[in-house]
Formats: sequence, C-alpha cells, structure tokens
Amino acid sequence: MAEQSYTFRIQRNQVAGNGRLETRWQEYKVTMPPNATILNALEEIKGKQDGSVTYRQSCRSAICGSCGMKISGHTRLACKTHIGWVARNGVVELRPQGNQPVLKDLAVDIGPFFKRVHTIRPYLDEGPEADANVGKTAYEQVNQVSQCIMCGCCYSDCTMAEVSPTFIGPAALAKAFRFVSDPREGKKTDRLRQLSEPHMMWSCARCAMCVEACPKGVKPMEAIVKLRTRGMQKGFNDGAGQRHALAFHVDIQKGGDLNEFTLMMRTLGLGGTLKETGAALHLMKKGKIPSPFPHKAQGFEELKKVYDILERNPLDVETKAADIVPE
Amino acid sequence: MSLDFAFYPGCAGKQVQKEAEWAARAVCDQLGIKLHDMPRATCCGAVSLRETKPAFSLAVAARILGEAEASGRDLCTICNTCLQTLSHANYRFKTEPDILEQINKANQQAGIPAYRASIKVQHLLWVITDQVDQKALKDKIKKPLAGLKVAPFYGCHNLRPAEIFASNAGEKADHLHRLITLLGGEAVSYDGHDKCCGFHVMLSDPAEMRGMVAKNCLSAKEAGAQVMITPCTLCDMSMGAYQGIAEKTVGKSINLPEMNFAQLLGVAMGIDEARLGVHRLHVDPKPILAQTGYPLTRSPCWR
Repeated sequence: MAEQSYTFRIQRNQVAGNGRLETRWQEYKVTMPPNATILNALEEIKGKQDGSVTYRQSCRSAICGSCGMKISGHTRLACKTHIGWVARNGVVELRPQGNQPVLKDLAVDIGPFFKRVHTIRPYLDEGPEADANVGKTAYEQVNQVSQCIMCGCCYSDCTMAEVSPTFIGPAALAKAFRFVSDPREGKKTDRLRQLSEPHMMWSCARCAMCVEACPKGVKPMEAIVKLRTRGMQKGFNDGAGQRHALAFHVDIQKGGDLNEFTLMMRTLGLGGTLKETGAALHLMKKGKIPSPFPHKAQGFEELKKVYDILERNPLDVETKAADIVPE
Repeated sequence: MSLDFAFYPGCAGKQVQKEAEWAARAVCDQLGIKLHDMPRATCCGAVSLRETKPAFSLAVAARILGEAEASGRDLCTICNTCLQTLSHANYRFKTEPDILEQINKANQQAGIPAYRASIKVQHLLWVITDQVDQKALKDKIKKPLAGLKVAPFYGCHNLRPAEIFASNAGEKADHLHRLITLLGGEAVSYDGHDKCCGFHVMLSDPAEMRGMVAKNCLSAKEAGAQVMITPCTLCDMSMGAYQGIAEKTVGKSINLPEMNFAQLLGVAMGIDEARLGVHRLHVDPKPILAQTGYPLTRSPCWR
C-alpha cells in the first residue's frame, strides 16, 4: 500500500510539582501506509523524532492489553488499529485512556482499574454451589468473557464511569459473569448478592459503549444483562433498578403499554417518590405527566397467555458464544 | 419507492413526549411518508424486559414485528430504545431460526400469528435522510437555518451495538449531521454527540443521570451549539425536560434549547409551531431561532 503523510496530534501530559496535570498538544508528521498500526507510528515518532513521548506497550499482538488509548475519540489498542481506519482528513488524535489518573502523556495509572476488578474476587471460590460435572455446553457462556485481556478500553469509554467515581465498570462485571456462569464456582449466590449492591451491576446505563470499545469481542454489557437476570432469579430485587425492570412484564400483560404514571412510585416507593417532588413539579410545568390510565392495545390478553406458557415451559434464549479461535 | 410504514412511536412518544410524535406526523404529511397506526402494538419492554424475562421479551417483540409484517410494511419508530430493542430481537430472529421457531410456537399457542422475520426495523430519521429523495426534501425547506449551530445528539440506542441495525450505526452513523447540513445549519463537533443521556438510570442513579445530562449539554455549549437535536423521545426527556433539574444538581446554568429532530425539521419546513409542540419544550428555542432571523411560524387558529 502506498505511503501517505499523516499528522499525529498527541496530548502531552506532565504532572507538575504541585501535583496538577499540565496538558498541551503536540503535532508530529509521519509518512506510512494506511495499513500500518498506530503503534508503528508511535514507535516511529518516539524512535526518530521525540524520545520523550511516553506510552505503554508490550506484545504488539492484541494479547497483553498494554497499549489501550483514545485514538480519534474512542479507546482502542494502538497495536490493533490501522492508521487508515481512524485518520480524519489525514489527522489522528491520541489521548490517554479516560476515567483513569494520567501519569505522563498517554500512560495512565492502571491501579484503580485493577482494584475494581479485584473487588469481584477474580478467581474461582470453593463452596456449596460448585458442580464437579462440567457439561459440554458449559463453556458457551464462560467463553464469551474469558477473552478479556484487561486492557481497560471499556472502562475508559464507559459513560457511567465518567460521572461516577464509584461505579465498578464493565470489565469487572464481565469478569464477574465469567465466574457466576462457571459451573465449578462454589459461591454463585454470594457473588450475585454482592453484584446487586449499589454502584455494581444495576448502575450500568446500558449505553453499549463497552461493546463497541472492546477489542476482543467480550461484549461486557451483554454479560451485565445476564448477571441482572440471574440476580433477579435469586431474589435480589431490593433496589430501584430491579423494581423498575420488574414493572415491565406486569404492565405489558395488563394492557400493553407501560404505566409511566405509577412507575416512579413502584420503583422508588413513597419516600423516594416524595424526594422527587421537585423534579415532578418541574416536568408538570410543560404537562409532562403521563396519564394514569395508559392506552390498551388490541388483543393484549394474548400476552398474558404467552407469558403463562413461557413460565410453565421455560425457554433458554440466552445468547451463547461460538468457540473463539484465539488470534 | 413507496414510503409506507407501520408506525411505532413508543410509550414516551404516546405520552410525555407526544410533541415528538406530532412533529413526526406533521413532517411525514409534507414528505409523503405514510405512517400507519399499529392498534395491536404494546410496549416493547425496553432494556428491562430482556433482563427480567428474556424469552417473554422475544415473544412480545415477535408479536409487534408480526403486526407490521402482516400489514406488508417495515416498522418505523421515533424512540431509540424501541429501535434497539426491536432491532435486537429482529437480528436474532433473522440469524437464529431455531429461536424464532420456538418463540413462534409459544406465541401461536396463545393465538398470536407467527412472525416470518421478513421486515426491517427503521428509524424515521433514517427514512428521511436515506430514503426520501434529498432534492425533494430540500425543496420543502422554506426557512433554511442560515448557519444555526446545532449539536447532533444521536443517543446510544441509535448507534450500538452497530451490527444489529438496518442502517449505518456505530462510528459510521452520520444521519443527524447530514440532516443539519441539509437544513442549512452547522453541525457542531463536540465530545458528547455519541454518549449517554442517562435515561435508563434516571430513577436508580439520579445524580449520575443528571451529571450525564449536564456534561453532554455543557460540552455542546462550549463547542458553540445554539440548539441540540436528538432522534429519540427518551433523549429528549433527559436532555430537554430534565436539563433544568440537572442544572440544580450540578449547580451550573446550561440553558441549551433541546428539540426532537422532527421538530427542528418542521420549523425549517415552516410548519406551524403549535403543531410541532414547541410550547411543550422546557428550554424554549424560540428566542435563539428568532435571534438568528428565522422566527417560527404561528397561525392563531391552530389548536
């Protein structure tokens, strides 16, 4: 492929003497084919133009998870991303990962990220729920999430982590699912109890940014959906997220549409609803209060019937991972 | 091409964000897009039903999609979460025939006709930017926006996961940008354009949701936006109706008018502002629209 000229706009970060981060932008020109990787370009810049540019790298093969950084707006592995995919009018912008403390230039402190992963106990626990029989299909669920290389790309782009310093984040939750879904795990219920606490699985906003960001196809949000299902099946339903979710199948059977008028009360209870009085009054100014009597769909009675059929004869419709051949 | 759709406005479009539905119908009238009601359609279950009752959620989706299919039309919505929920189910029905067969079997026992997975799930924005003749659309623009700086806010469930959608999604999506340019506005480039409005954690994590609203709106304002548009009734609710609440939570003034894309399109087409439900918006866009020299159309007798 023919070489082209690219401008790399790199965010240079330096922690000053007073502990504050000083940020400036610096541009470098490189001439490379579009199928060269961002890491190739960084090596060219560091090796031949400016040895002070700092970033983390190791395996060059999308296995070690070291070189995740914000490349043209989204977090990707520098070693796996071709320049031609992300250059906009010949410009590639590099910034350090988001939601993590910056050490220098493109290198972040990965300590807080790993601390979150450790809160979910990333190893098999012995216990009463351990099953010695591991069936042929048991790996279908585990497989999806075992590809995680802990690069932090999902956490860097997580929209909830941007506003919540306490949210555990997608990588830790995907890792939690890896253990909850492993037949050999001995404390599945304990894990689901912990994951049902505030700032854990129910705080995911379901934006699916982690699904796009993950360079290994782990789909953390899909794991979060399955964790929530398993948590509710175990009866850990005492939270606003769970109560809100549990309203839907009831309303659909009752008439078809969601009863948004009573939804807040059912989700937050009386005390919580009173706390939201200010918000409700604000919405009322423009008539944004739903009717307590939502529209009834024709033939909605059919849904009660199919609901009962599926309760009597449960169908397993969870998505399964095909065998992944390691890259 | 015939532009006939089974119209699925979603629960918010029918109730708290009904102005988006009014605007959608008003612009479709002018563009010759026919929106047919779906009397049997229920709530899609949103992101929640998939978590509580995974199989039932597919049964509900198959029933909704089947109603559109029986009428011989694709389904078209104005809610991103309905779009994602129904697209996700439709993607599975098209790629996992055994799941479709099992769901159809349960549905048929309950008297619900089988779904053959033959239709597409469309967003009205995609229809307008990709299927309507763009020259005909441009001819309908009576009041071009004359460089008005508009922040496009796509909403997560219009974009991700990209593979399930029947149109360009993920980082490839540029529908709102193209619409803004066609209306004569300038699409503002800002960090929040593909981020989350927080709607789905509005009740469970209220402070965080309001933080998201403020962050996205402020990032658009700092980039020079005079107005924000979204293709989603739920994003409208967060970024518009909740903006004032978010201001109080974060202690910062925002004051960025937010409109559904169909409302701004309707304004540029010269459709009466009352018909577009502009009066139901929490942050009034009229001062900024008037300032830029393009006041809204108002006839005294409508409504």
